[in-house]
Amino acid sequence: MTLTQKGRWITLVALMCLAAVYVRALAFTPVERLQGLAQKIFYLHVPAAIWTETAMILVGLASIFYLFLKDARLDRFAEASAEVGTVFATIVLTTGPIWGKPIWGTWWTWDARLTATLLLFFLYVGYLLVRGAVRDPGLRARYAAVLGICGMCLVPFIHLSVFMFRTLHPQPIILKPSAPSLPGSMLATWLLSLAAFTLLYVGFVTQRYALSLMRDAHGGGSPSHV
Amino acid sequence: MGELIAQAWRVARKDLVLEFRTRTALVSAVVFTALVLTVFNFGRDPTAVPTIDLAPTILWVTFTFAAMLTLNRAFQLELENQALEGLLVSPLSRTSLYWGKLIANLVFVAVVEGVGLPLFVLFFDVPVGHVLAPLIGVIALATLGFVAVGTLFSALVMRTRFAELLLVVILLPFLVPPLIGAVQVTARLLGGRPLSESVGYLKLLAAYDIVFVSLASLLFRFTVDE
Amino acid sequence: MSDVPQNAGYMVAAYVVTAVILVAYAVSLYRRSNQS
Repeated sequence: MTLTQKGRWITLVALMCLAAVYVRALAFTPVERLQGLAQKIFYLHVPAAIWTETAMILVGLASIFYLFLKDARLDRFAEASAEVGTVFATIVLTTGPIWGKPIWGTWWTWDARLTATLLLFFLYVGYLLVRGAVRDPGLRARYAAVLGICGMCLVPFIHLSVFMFRTLHPQPIILKPSAPSLPGSMLATWLLSLAAFTLLYVGFVTQRYALSLMRDAHGGGSPSHV
Repeated sequence: MGELIAQAWRVARKDLVLEFRTRTALVSAVVFTALVLTVFNFGRDPTAVPTIDLAPTILWVTFTFAAMLTLNRAFQLELENQALEGLLVSPLSRTSLYWGKLIANLVFVAVVEGVGLPLFVLFFDVPVGHVLAPLIGVIALATLGFVAVGTLFSALVMRTRFAELLLVVILLPFLVPPLIGAVQVTARLLGGRPLSESVGYLKLLAAYDIVFVSLASLLFRFTVDE
Repeated sequence: MSDVPQNAGYMVAAYVVTAVILVAYAVSLYRRSNQS
């Protein structure tokens, strides 16, 4: 089985797992009394947010190793992780406001997590733009690696500064869309969703990586090993 | 260490001498700053919001734009005359090249800010005399962070298409944490709050500077080497 | 004891949007790898 096929299978399983999450979340998980049905957005929003951030950290780590080892596989992985991270960021940035509107009364409030995800989204876009703007594969890999490392190191500062900024401002009305201690049934649904998103990440990255490999093989050129 | 500083200073001096001879970029940046401040005046309703509330924002947005403008020119000069190859072939270490560029950029931005701050005080009638020293301190801290990352990225985009635009796009997310710190400290200073209230943000700025100056000088060689 | 807020529409919207984004990306990957 080629890498592409493996990736497709994993993605298929992941999507089926996601479908199970949908069924469980919508039909078999209790409704949260204060927020109502909209709270169920949490089961998709939070796992997506976790993977948005993790994907960026993985881009950073792969970038560090790439600069030391110059292994093209690390560069391909970083590229794949960045693209998938962007997709997950999009999910967070769309489900976030959709959740925020009924709960906070407004589509956007510069909430710490949403703002951090927005900045992450811009980091991803910048990373992908730089990759698109450089012809030479060796230069592209190196420049992307530099940006990837800087992006990863920025993440803690984003969280810190946005958190400090947010605490100045009036908190969202009454309800905060987080559930610090989840009752068992809700926790199970959330964990299942996290598993689904993990599989989605793996499946997507595998396919995207395989795509990169195919393009390099056809003469796109991999970064030459120095 | 002494060699590093000596080399860095040589690079910085070359840039500074070249720039002060023609002064084009510097004058443009200063004029730009004055224009941005002017535009801000027309962009607000002075009867609706007291100036002092908007002052930190106006100051820092202006400084951010001015810094980005000066950063664009950082490597353009070398690129135009293929002088970069000359620099790289010389026994100059990559780290000293970075530090030299950083120092030169800091001087440029400092000159622009040195004109911008009095203009700001004049245009918006903002008393800063009583907090001038800490204000200059926070301006220096934030500017160092901006310019450290900006110098690295300006080398990175040097050979790409749409370099100026790409620089802005990849740099802006990195400017958010120091910007948050700078605006909050400035607001507190101008509002007559004791310095103790700004300590958290000052620590944020200091930590950012330490991390990103080190990171940028370490990563710089990957943006210029073949 | 207040009623549970009636906001099912938002929930549906979010679940649909998420599914659309993920399926669209999966399809995009599939088609791009067939083209290469």
